[in-house]
Amino acid sequence: MVLTVYGWLLYLYPESYRHEFGEEMTSVFCQARSELPPERAAKIRFYRREFCGLLSGALGAHLDRLLDPAIPFRRFSMQPQFRFPRSTLFLMLVILAAVVLTIAKASSIAGDTSGSVWPTFGFLLVFMLLTVCTAAAIVWGILHSLRRSGVHRLEKMESWMDSAESKGKP
Amino acid sequence: MATFALSEPVFLVLLSLAEQPRHGYSILKDVESMSSGRVLLSTGTLYGALERLLDHGWIERVEEDNTPRDRRTYRLTSRGRRNLQMEIDRMRQLTKVAALRMARKET
Repeated sequence: MVLTVYGWLLYLYPESYRHEFGEEMTSVFCQARSELPPERAAKIRFYRREFCGLLSGALGAHLDRLLDPAIPFRRFSMQPQFRFPRSTLFLMLVILAAVVLTIAKASSIAGDTSGSVWPTFGFLLVFMLLTVCTAAAIVWGILHSLRRSGVHRLEKMESWMDSAESKGKP
Repeated sequence: MATFALSEPVFLVLLSLAEQPRHGYSILKDVESMSSGRVLLSTGTLYGALERLLDHGWIERVEEDNTPRDRRTYRLTSRGRRNLQMEIDRMRQLTKVAALRMARKET
């Protein structure tokens, strides 16, 4: 039963991947399963790990084929000039909220005497976020079609990685 | 020196192959033993890492005539060994700095 489910989940992988590693993965899974301790908790942990691993592995395999990544092993310390600190994103959101709130407040002072700013605030925030996301998607689409998106820039960075490797040569 | 860091599973897989060529299940058990049971790889994670390592030429399959398809052996290439060494140097440098910082804090 478990093996059947495992076989089904393998179908989530791209066909080429399944063809190359499918049999091996099933065999390793069977070996690991045969050596499981008898405790129920250990079995549950094992199956949870295996099935979560399969799902994330399948997603990763599809993304690898879609994006043709220049980042070989997920973790990658970018050169400092390419870094985009997470705090910047937070700050940008705070600034966006402040701008939206100010606009709403100004319009309410200007003539709308209907009441609080807050009912319009939510609508404006959602509207602005949607606008920003749409604009970002359009710009990304244009950059991607021109092969100038971040994905393509990262591809070019591989030459930097190779040069780092060649410097490491004795 | 390389300025990129490997994820822990990939690092342990490379380390496992540094000693000798191994097949999938042997790598799985070796990683578990090296990390004292802390890192337990699933088959999905293991073969995801092996695929990328193969693609980038860090490891290769050992071509043997009588090896069944479900028990293929992998070994480190010279490129993989060089990159592993660079990663070890990077970690050594990091732990050296960490030890110095901790010692300074204690005094």
